[in-house]
Amino acid sequence: MHRLLAQQFAKATDESGTVDLERLRDLVSGAYEEYDRDRRRTDRSMSLMIEEIDVVNRNLEQTIVERTRELRARELDLEAQNTRFDAAISNMSQGLLMFDAEARLLISNNRYFEMYGLRSADVAPGLTLRQLIDLRIANGTFSGDPDQYVDTLMASVRAGNAGNQLVELADGRTMAVVNQPMPGGGWVATHEDITERRRAEMKIAHMARHDALTDLPNRVLLRERLGEALTHVERGQRLAVLCLDLDQFKNVNDTLGHAVGDELLRVVAGRLRGCVRETDTISRVGGDEFSIIQVDIADATDAERLARRISEAVSAPYDLSGHLVIVNTSIGIALAPADGTEADDLLKNADMALYGAKADGRGVYKFFEPTMDARMKARCALELALRKALEHGEFELYYQPTVSLLNEDVHGCEALLRWNHPERGVVPPLEFIPVAEEIGLIVTLGEWVIRQACADAAKWPGNVSVAVNLSPTQLNSKNLVPTVLSALATSQLPAHRLELEITETVLMQNTETTLRTLHQLRALGIRIAMDDFGTGYSSLSYLRSFPFDKIKIDRCFINGLGDSPGSAAIVRAVADLADSLSMTTTAEGVETRAQLDHVRELGCTDVQGYFYSRPVPIRDLLKLEMFAKQAKKDTAAA
Amino acid sequence: MRTKQIIWNASAGWNVTGSQAGAASLVLYFGTRQALASGERYEELRRMFPKAHILGCSSGGQINNNDISDDEIVAAAIAFDHTGVRLCRQDIAGPGQSRSCGEAIGRALAADDLAGVFVLSDGLNVNGSELVAGITKAIGAKVPLTGGLAGDGADFKETLVGGDCAPRSRVVAGIGFYGSAIRVGHGSAGGWDLFGPRRRVTKSAGNVLFELDGEPALDLYERYLGPDEARALPGSALLFPIQVYDLDHPDSAVVRTVLAVDRDARSMTFAGDVPQGWSAQLMRGNFDRLAAGAADAARQARSGLNGKDSDGRFSILVSCIGRRLLMGQRTADETEAAGVELGPDTLRLGFYSYGEISPHQRSGVCELHNQTMTVTTLAEVGTQ
Repeated sequence: MHRLLAQQFAKATDESGTVDLERLRDLVSGAYEEYDRDRRRTDRSMSLMIEEIDVVNRNLEQTIVERTRELRARELDLEAQNTRFDAAISNMSQGLLMFDAEARLLISNNRYFEMYGLRSADVAPGLTLRQLIDLRIANGTFSGDPDQYVDTLMASVRAGNAGNQLVELADGRTMAVVNQPMPGGGWVATHEDITERRRAEMKIAHMARHDALTDLPNRVLLRERLGEALTHVERGQRLAVLCLDLDQFKNVNDTLGHAVGDELLRVVAGRLRGCVRETDTISRVGGDEFSIIQVDIADATDAERLARRISEAVSAPYDLSGHLVIVNTSIGIALAPADGTEADDLLKNADMALYGAKADGRGVYKFFEPTMDARMKARCALELALRKALEHGEFELYYQPTVSLLNEDVHGCEALLRWNHPERGVVPPLEFIPVAEEIGLIVTLGEWVIRQACADAAKWPGNVSVAVNLSPTQLNSKNLVPTVLSALATSQLPAHRLELEITETVLMQNTETTLRTLHQLRALGIRIAMDDFGTGYSSLSYLRSFPFDKIKIDRCFINGLGDSPGSAAIVRAVADLADSLSMTTTAEGVETRAQLDHVRELGCTDVQGYFYSRPVPIRDLLKLEMFAKQAKKDTAAA
Repeated sequence: MRTKQIIWNASAGWNVTGSQAGAASLVLYFGTRQALASGERYEELRRMFPKAHILGCSSGGQINNNDISDDEIVAAAIAFDHTGVRLCRQDIAGPGQSRSCGEAIGRALAADDLAGVFVLSDGLNVNGSELVAGITKAIGAKVPLTGGLAGDGADFKETLVGGDCAPRSRVVAGIGFYGSAIRVGHGSAGGWDLFGPRRRVTKSAGNVLFELDGEPALDLYERYLGPDEARALPGSALLFPIQVYDLDHPDSAVVRTVLAVDRDARSMTFAGDVPQGWSAQLMRGNFDRLAAGAADAARQARSGLNGKDSDGRFSILVSCIGRRLLMGQRTADETEAAGVELGPDTLRLGFYSYGEISPHQRSGVCELHNQTMTVTTLAEVGTQ
C-alpha cells in the first residue's frame, strides 16, 4: 500500500479500528486534487520557463552574433594597425629593437639586421640581449666587454634613464645608439648609422677652419693656434709670426687668369709647407696673403733663416699650365714676446713689418720696428682725414695755363688737385692720391674734380679749355662717361672745352675696355691727351691704338735739354711723330726763356710751366694778364 | 535531562495534569493562532509548570514526531540537570526596530557560559535578517543561534509569541542555555530546485522587492502561479521561493519567502532582505527532494546529540509554511525523513513557520532562512 494511503487509512481509522469512509474519501480526493494542482503548476511553470529560457537563449545568440561582429571588426582594426606598425618599423632608417623587462627580444626590424650583418632567422623574438651580443661578437660588429655592456644597460633601463651613446665599429662606421626605457619595464633600442653625417660634420668643421683652395689653416685656425702657442710664450718660449704676400700676384691673375692664379697659390702653399717644421702653422689669410707661426725659436735669427728660405723657395720659377712665372715675396716678421704677447698685436705688427718691407722694395723681409707703428698710425690718420676732406670742402683745384708757341694764346688750363688740410696745411697730391686709390676714394674724388673743373671753366671767358687728369681706376669705372656727361650738362660747358689726360699705364691694363671708353668720350667732342709721355714704356703702338689729340712730353726731357743731347733728340722725334699723326705736343715744365726757345725750335706746339705761370687758384688765374688778354681776344673773335 | 511530551486538543484538553507535570525548567509549545489567542492555554501551562520558563508561538501546523496537526497544541517540558536557562522577551513596534530588538535580547542573554540561544519572533512585523544580526552582534558569532518566526497558517494576518506571558503579537522572545553540559546541535536545508533563468534584482529596498530584470516582480509571480493561485497571494507565492545571492560571493545564497504583496505598487515584501544588484532565481519543490532536504537538516543537527544517553534527547523542528503548502498531505514525508535521521528515541517537537533561524551550513554565520527545514537538537552530557 502506498505510504500516503496508509497514512490516510490511519487518519481515517478511530481507536476502535473503525474506518471513517467519508474521512478517507476526503483525504484521498484531497490528495488527488493536490497532485492535480501540483501537476498543473509544474506544467505551467515548465512551459513558462521554457519560453523564458528560449528568449534568453535568443538574446544570448544575438549577443554572441553582435559580439563576434565587434570582435571581428576589432580584429581587422588590429590587423590594419599591425600592418601599419610593421610598415613603419620596417621602413625606418634606424635599426630598431624592443626588449621586455627580462631583456628578451620582442621586436626587431630588417634595418638592424642589415646594419650588423645578421641573419633575421638568427634573431628571433625571445632571444636575450646577451645572446644577440654574442651573435655580434661572432661576426665582429661588437667590441668591448659584453657583460659590462649588459650590466650598464640594464642598470640604466631600471633607473628609467634613456641611454645615448656613439659606438665606433671596427669597420669604421659610427652608430648612434639610443636605449629608451618603456613604462612597465623593457626598452626600445634605436641604432642609426651616422657615419656619413659625422664625416660631413667633420668636413664642415674642417672647412670652417681651413682655406678651401690650399687646404691650409685659415685665419680662424691661425688665431687659435697662435693663442695656443702664446701660452707657451708665457712659459718662456719664443715664437715668430711671419706675414707675407706675393709681389706680382695681381699681374699673374690679370694677365694669365684666375685659374692660373689659383694654381700659383696652391704651389706656393706647397713650397711654404716645405719650409717649416711640423709644429709650425702656415695659414692663408687672404688672396695672396699668408701667415706663418714659427714656434719655439731660439732667437730672431731662426725667423730670419726661415724668411730667407721662404723667399728663396717662393721666388724659384713656376711652370703653371705652360706659363713660366716668377713671383717674389715680401715678408714681415714679428717676434713674441718682444713685439707683443697678444695674437692681435703680433699679427698686426707682422703686417706692419710686411708693409714696411714692401715700402722698401720687393723680395725682402723686415722685422717689426716700433716706428712702423707710428708710421702706420699716421697713415691711418691720413686715411681718416681724407675720407672726411671731401664733405668738409677741403679740396681745391689749381690751374696752370697751357700757352701756344705760335701766338702765345692761352689754349687751356690743366686742373691740379690740392688738399688744404686744416692742421697740416697743403698736402701734396703724391702723398694722398695713392692713399685715395687704395681706400677706394679715387672715383668719388675724381668725379668731384671733373664736376668742379667743368663748373670753373664754364665761368671763364672765351674758349679756354680745361684739362683734367684721369686715374686708371677712374677710367675703368663704368661711371666715367655718365659722370662726364652730367658734369658738362650741369655746367653748360661745351664738350670741346674739356680735355681728359691719361697716362700710358692706363693703356697697359684692360686695353679694349679702355679704348672703348676713350672712343665714347671722343665721340662726345671731348679731347684726349696722352700725359707724361716718355716716362713709361713709351710704346708707339699706344699712339697708333688711339687717335690722341695731344701728347704731353714729360718735364724730365725738358729739364734735360740743357745738358743731355738725347733729350732734345727725343723731344724732336716725339714732336715730329705727333705732327705726322696730326697731334699737338705740349712741353711740360718749361721754366726758362731758353727752354721755351728750345722746345719751339724742336717742333713743340705748346708749353706749360713756371715760365708762364705756376698752378694758381681760380681767383688768381682770372687775374693773370695773359688770361684776361685771351678772354678779350676770344670775345672779339666771337 | 528529561523531556516530556504534552498534547492539548479541544475535546480532551491537556493530556497531563498538574501532578504529573514534574519539575521542568523549560516548556515549549506551538499551536494555531486561534488556539493560543485567548491566553488560557498559557495560563494552564503556567499552573502546571510554575517554575519553568514557558516559550511558545503560533504556527502554520504543529509537528509532533511524525505527525503534523492543525488543531492540537503540541508542547514539551524539559528538565535540565546541569544547564541553566534564561528567557528574555522584547516587544517590537515594527520591522525598523528589528536590529535593536535583537541586540537587546542578545545583551540580556549574553554570558561567558552561554552555550546557545533559541529565539521565537513575531512572523509579520519583524525583519528577521536584522533581528538575527542584532542578536549575533550581542552574543557573538560563535554561540549557536536557532529559532523561527511565528506563523499564521496561510493567512498572514497575525502571529503570536509568548515568553513567560500569554502569546501576543509583536513580541520576540529568546532562551539562553548556559553551562558546559548542554550540547546544541543545528542543521538547516531546503531541498528546493532552482529553475528558470537567472534574474537580477533591479529595484529593491530592504526586504521589499520591486523589480526583477526591470519587470515588476509581482507580474512574474502572477504569471507563474496562473490566475487561480495568483488570487491566493501572498500565501501561494510560497510555492515559488526565490534564492538571492551576490554574484561575487556565491556563498551568500539565501532563500527568501514572501510575507506580503502590494498589488498597486506591484511589489512583494519578503521575510528577509533582497539586496538590489544581487542575482535571483526562482525555485520549485519536488516532494522527494524536499523530504531529502529535511533529512539533510536532521543529519547536520544530529552531531549535537549525546549518543550515550537515550532518555532526554530532544529536537525542535522549524519548517517553512511554504513547504507544507506545496506538499499538502505529503508533508509528513519530511517529518518522517527527519525522524529517521534523528533516531526513534529523539523527541521531535516543532512548527511550520514564516522563517527559520540557524547558522548557515557553509559559512557558519547565523542567518534567517526561508523555505527550509531547520533542526535544533538539545542534549546534556553526564546526566546519569
